[in-house]
Amino acid sequence: MSEEPILKVEGLVAGYGKMTILNGTTFEVPKGSITTVIGPNGAGKSTVFKTLFGLLRAREGRVEFAGRDVTNLEPRALLEAGICYVPQGRNIFPELSVFHNIELGGIAAGRGLSDMPARIEKALDRFPALREKRDVQAGTLSGGQQKQLEIARGLLLDPKLILIDEPSIGLSPLLVEETFRFLIEQRNQGVSILMIEQNARSALAMSDWGLVLELGQTRMFDRADIILNDPRVGQLFLGGSLAETAA
Amino acid sequence: MDQFLQLLVAGLATGAIYALAAIGFTLVWQTSQTINFAQGEFVMLPAILALAARDLLHLPFWAAAILATVVFLLLFGLGFKRFLVDPMLKHGVLPLAIATMALSILMKEGAKDGYSAQAAQFPSLVPEGTFSLLGAAVSLRDVAVFVVAITAIVALQLFVTRTRLGRTMQATAQNPTVARILGVRVERMILLTFLINAGLAVLASYLISPIYLAKFSNGEVIGLSAFIAAIVGGFNQVRGALAGGFIVGLVDNLAAAYVSSGYRTAVPLGLLVVFILFKPEGLLGRREERTV
Repeated sequence: MSEEPILKVEGLVAGYGKMTILNGTTFEVPKGSITTVIGPNGAGKSTVFKTLFGLLRAREGRVEFAGRDVTNLEPRALLEAGICYVPQGRNIFPELSVFHNIELGGIAAGRGLSDMPARIEKALDRFPALREKRDVQAGTLSGGQQKQLEIARGLLLDPKLILIDEPSIGLSPLLVEETFRFLIEQRNQGVSILMIEQNARSALAMSDWGLVLELGQTRMFDRADIILNDPRVGQLFLGGSLAETAA
Repeated sequence: MDQFLQLLVAGLATGAIYALAAIGFTLVWQTSQTINFAQGEFVMLPAILALAARDLLHLPFWAAAILATVVFLLLFGLGFKRFLVDPMLKHGVLPLAIATMALSILMKEGAKDGYSAQAAQFPSLVPEGTFSLLGAAVSLRDVAVFVVAITAIVALQLFVTRTRLGRTMQATAQNPTVARILGVRVERMILLTFLINAGLAVLASYLISPIYLAKFSNGEVIGLSAFIAAIVGGFNQVRGALAGGFIVGLVDNLAAAYVSSGYRTAVPLGLLVVFILFKPEGLLGRREERTV
């Protein structure tokens, strides 16, 4: 890592109510790369994202994005700074049209962006399936199309860092591949990506860096291929057999 | 046939008013899980406030009505959210619902003690009189009430679907967490729905009070009717609440004439039971998928 990291997380402490999930989480995300976070259930992966994105308050610690302190900023301020967050599961507005769902991705810019219609058109160009269903209710899209919609919406403000949580859940292998390919394309254009994936093997295979999180602590951070081939990691998280990875 | 036509028009007019209340009811439910059991009192009070302002402050009626509207929006739009919903919602949906019941009693008794226990004449904002339609004498006022209420609902629907602010409000109602993730100022959107609810209540109040007179106890029937209209319509749709309002208004008026005026409110309740048993998601609602 010769370049400054895009994101620096230092000693993050956060949790729900009296329960502390993150107790001093520290890591860095290299710029212009794909970093995959793996770890067992309950390791605090999603909690890290929620805390980074201002949905959960950091009780202690510091988050630095592109050299600027962004600890505990509101989502709107983080979007303005250039971070977007695509959470796990389905995160669309089912009764609004596909077009209007994407349009809401630009809400953080207020009325400041005059080229919003062009940006929405560009987002629709990227995903032909969405263009085809431009005016139908988003709730009628397939699971994969909904995920594409979320990604298209997240990219509307040209983020510098994408936090994406379990993009492959519930998608067919073909769509997973397509989604991953799209993320690589973004990376090639200079966008940094921090991704959580259950599907650790294929995620690491397409990533530049791997981060192993356990009990809210960074256990390992290295090049993705090294993590992928580390026997300890293999046993712990990647599963010795196919049957175990399904869990 | 003549009577049926008259009842039909009267039913549509009261139905449109119930729809106003039911739409506000579903809006605040959607954006902040508030089951407002004081909704009927919300419709009762603005008329009483306007009369009180006229009598106590010796204002001309139009000025009293404007003053009452502003006061009501502040107290029961902004104040209701800040001082009742926000603090109570932290404790859950049920404590909040019970708090709104307490509020309904407070509003009712407050109107009785503060203004009058008697029913008072409320000046009609629309012309009185009748005209002939297919041989039946139809009340001009009923038609005007219907037109005004429907215009308001159509305007609201256009705002919600055709403007970005309206769509942002819808998005907040459909999924507040995701709205926040996209940078929507969720609190402001919720406040907006409370103000719209209060505004709809004021309009409903000024429309219904000339028909049924302004009285502290008016909220009981209106609240129940709006509640039934919202459930029948599907509880999460403006269109549903509108359809529900018409159904309840028509059933209510027809039952009063053809069954028994004493049992008129019981018939919509029967309708509610039928819907809960056989179509719990309502006419236009979708089944709620809730995860905790």
